[in-house]
Amino acid sequence: MSVDGKGWVGKAVPRKEEDRLLRGRGKFADDIKLRAMLYLRFVRSSYAHANIVSIDTSEADKIPGVICTLTGSEIAAHTQPFIQIAPDPGGKIQDYPIAVSKVRYQGEPVAAVVAVSSGLADDGAEAVQVEYAELDPVVDAEQALTDASILHEQAGTNQVWQGVFEYGDVEKAFREAASVVEIDRMHFHRFSSTPLENNVVIAQWDPKDERIYYWCNNSFPSFAIQFLAAHLSVHIDRIRVQTSDIGGSFGIKITSYPQMAVCALASKKAGGRPVKWVETRSEHMISSAHGNERTFRDTRVALDKSAVITAITSRHIDDCGAYPRYEPLGCVIWSQVFPGVYRFKNARIDFSQAVTNKCPVGPNRGYSRMQHLWFLERVVDICAHELGIPSDEMRLRNYIRPEEFPYTTPNGCVYDSGNYPKMLAVAKDLIGWEAWKKNQSEARKEGRMLGIGIGTTLDSGTNNFGQSQIVNPGAPFSGNSQGANCKLDIYGEVVVAVGSCPQGQGHETTAAQVVADVLNINPDFVTVRTGFDTERNVHTGFSGTYASQFAVSGLSAVHGAAQKLKAEMKRLASFVLESKEEELEFGVGAQGPEIRSKNNGKSINYWGLANIVNVNSAVLPVEMHDVTLNCRYIWRAPFKVPDVKKKYGNLTMTYASQLHIAVVEIDRETFIPKILDYVAVDDCGTVINPPIVEGQVYGATAHGIGAALLETCVYDAVGNMMTSTFSDYIPITAMNMPSVKYGHIETPSPHSYSGAKGMGEGGAAPVHTISAALQDALFDKGIIIDDSFNNPDSLFRALKGEIGRADNIVKVERRA
Amino acid sequence: MPIKFAGEFEVQRGPEDVYAFLTDPNKFCPLLPEFRGVTVEDPEHFTVQVNVGVSYIKGVASVKLHLAESQRPSRAQYKGQGSVAGGNVSMVATFDLVSVESGTKVAWQGEAQVFGRLTSVSGGLLEPLGKKQVQKLINGLQAALHNNVTESGSAV
Repeated sequence: MSVDGKGWVGKAVPRKEEDRLLRGRGKFADDIKLRAMLYLRFVRSSYAHANIVSIDTSEADKIPGVICTLTGSEIAAHTQPFIQIAPDPGGKIQDYPIAVSKVRYQGEPVAAVVAVSSGLADDGAEAVQVEYAELDPVVDAEQALTDASILHEQAGTNQVWQGVFEYGDVEKAFREAASVVEIDRMHFHRFSSTPLENNVVIAQWDPKDERIYYWCNNSFPSFAIQFLAAHLSVHIDRIRVQTSDIGGSFGIKITSYPQMAVCALASKKAGGRPVKWVETRSEHMISSAHGNERTFRDTRVALDKSAVITAITSRHIDDCGAYPRYEPLGCVIWSQVFPGVYRFKNARIDFSQAVTNKCPVGPNRGYSRMQHLWFLERVVDICAHELGIPSDEMRLRNYIRPEEFPYTTPNGCVYDSGNYPKMLAVAKDLIGWEAWKKNQSEARKEGRMLGIGIGTTLDSGTNNFGQSQIVNPGAPFSGNSQGANCKLDIYGEVVVAVGSCPQGQGHETTAAQVVADVLNINPDFVTVRTGFDTERNVHTGFSGTYASQFAVSGLSAVHGAAQKLKAEMKRLASFVLESKEEELEFGVGAQGPEIRSKNNGKSINYWGLANIVNVNSAVLPVEMHDVTLNCRYIWRAPFKVPDVKKKYGNLTMTYASQLHIAVVEIDRETFIPKILDYVAVDDCGTVINPPIVEGQVYGATAHGIGAALLETCVYDAVGNMMTSTFSDYIPITAMNMPSVKYGHIETPSPHSYSGAKGMGEGGAAPVHTISAALQDALFDKGIIIDDSFNNPDSLFRALKGEIGRADNIVKVERRA
Repeated sequence: MPIKFAGEFEVQRGPEDVYAFLTDPNKFCPLLPEFRGVTVEDPEHFTVQVNVGVSYIKGVASVKLHLAESQRPSRAQYKGQGSVAGGNVSMVATFDLVSVESGTKVAWQGEAQVFGRLTSVSGGLLEPLGKKQVQKLINGLQAALHNNVTESGSAV
């Protein structure tokens, strides 16, 4: 029990992970060195779109120390294409981890070289000769939809998926509207995560037992093994994946299974020696995965006479890069936050996804939802400016009200709790709203461009995988589950293994807090296993770390396992201490954690209990033989399969929310936007560990500010990626991160056992917020912010009138 | 982005001489900046190797060229493809020759497209460097042809 007697959940318990990580004692995948290990290097396409005329590996094979090479044709001859999530035509796409007969993005692997050292693998890769025949590249999703140049001939079209999400009575809302705002085009740019640690895979296809062993930093191994087993035609139980410390993922490392496949096949070809691949930063930038790029076309917004939005229609085109992989899920995941934080009930979104000759995209912090939330925030701000309503007032008129929770959205999602007006009030107070408004007014008189922007956003956590059936009715997924194991080890240690795959989120600490509260002990008495192992950790097909779900799914599983363990410990102690179960109490005594009888004063510590079960079991009566003190618990989310036809149903369990305010000034000579003040207010329900939450808010804020102002994946017209190094792709660092004022409110979730909501992705709130602030700074110059990325160059062009002209982008029809 | 270049100059030789020079790889190729060697397969096909460097990125470009269009003595067009520093390059270069009073006016234009790592890592440096090298080539050509009259060349 904690000092104040209120338990450990909610306390600022220091992170258990910190000690080893801050002392440089973390164990990462690249730290692993195995006997007779080989090194793999990919030969990558320099073309974005080309047929492979020939591949000549003979010079590479001659280099002493090069063990073997691997090409796409060889892989295709021995494997199945990766499973496609989309239905036809997207389902017909044939995806192999190395290009077979044509390349579809710059950086796509065309061969792999395996050598005894990484240097020799590099030499081997440079000696591979590839002859290409250029094809017309397609680097724009709207252009891709014309099918003028087809990427995947098997599919016959570049459109992976298309569907209309329509709810309410859209036509009636437009008929009755007091004003209608039309926005021609908006664009959410492509950016990526830049984890400190790139992808790393070590694979061994062991000929002795015909099993495949992985040591890697994939962040969703239970998903990866499903893809790998089908691709490699091996039983899933023959694949073992182990992770250790992971230096960030943000979703991107979910999609490393193609490289995992290549390493395993290379190991097999190399006679079973382990093969290691360590991704370089440039490789990460050009070929790991980027976040989705999305274009919003022909948006129409109906508003009543109070400027309350009553309907929205729009056409959204998602660019998933060269191979859809995980991405068809993105075609529906955005609809978890269909109305954002707003009350409108009528909407029609025509959603398409297209392949282009660019790096495949993958889940990226705020995955698929941030694009939509940015769209909604842009709609709200553009309407507010055009109708002359202050941005805070516009939001207050349109927010879902606190008394409306749990709130059912037009598409059937149930928002668990929230209080957006309160968050706005807290944020305005923290930033000093009135003072900044006054400053702004004075700055404008001096001709300075100073804007104040609000971004309200949602972080939907714990998916209902049944939403995959909205994309593909044949998809075999629904619901969500997570496993955990809690046991007393032989000497009585409390040991927990979670089904998640932490990458810095503090799972070891928060899981220990939960278990400590169940057993009424200190978290220091709880050991949570580092990393993930498909053979050690209890897991389900959904186990991993993604979609802001650990606080709900992961900790619910841990809580369930701890409760089971506690029940077994009680039964056993009741027998040993000759007391009724209700007479027992858990606590810590002179010999460590123990169970005491309030009736007779007897006690037994955890070592004693574990000893009976594990090494002194002859004393156990038969009726106690089912007590193992090794408890596995599978938590299952109470989801139903959505109505696939109506695209209706609850898609997510919890909805954390974020409200950010930024004050930004654009320098009149350099056009550099400078953040003068920034506030981030978070509501993730009951907070398990305040510093961990605060840290994740800062991380998500940094990520979003970087995305809004610095980070963009630029491709030229022929598909060369122009931002493949940190010289050109400028990740945010402490040097350009403003100081952030943090605030929080708590609206406990009724959907989780603890009231906690999943958090950590932040919904890319800064992207919306900074777009809003820039528009506020520039609206009086006739400029609309219609792109999520704004750097000095684009602001200069906007001020020159080349882009962002409101009169070209927005039309307003006032009827009343 | 393709690197486009164009310009013109005059030389005191007749079009036949200029054409013969431009279509002889053994004479023409050594004028390429950072020339390393040329392998002539036949009069219309040859492979030229040049050193390439953008800042710290250095390598050898091996470009297969062929005389795609030849209208003696008024037009010669080379097309080529090759590999360079982990990437590829494709190019086309055309020389139009017009007889003038003082000799021959050479109008040159071309386009080079670089694919791959070199483009990615060299950022905005590639285009000015490419144009500089083209200008060196043209200067070399003029010198070799004993140019001493007017010139005007510009990147487009």
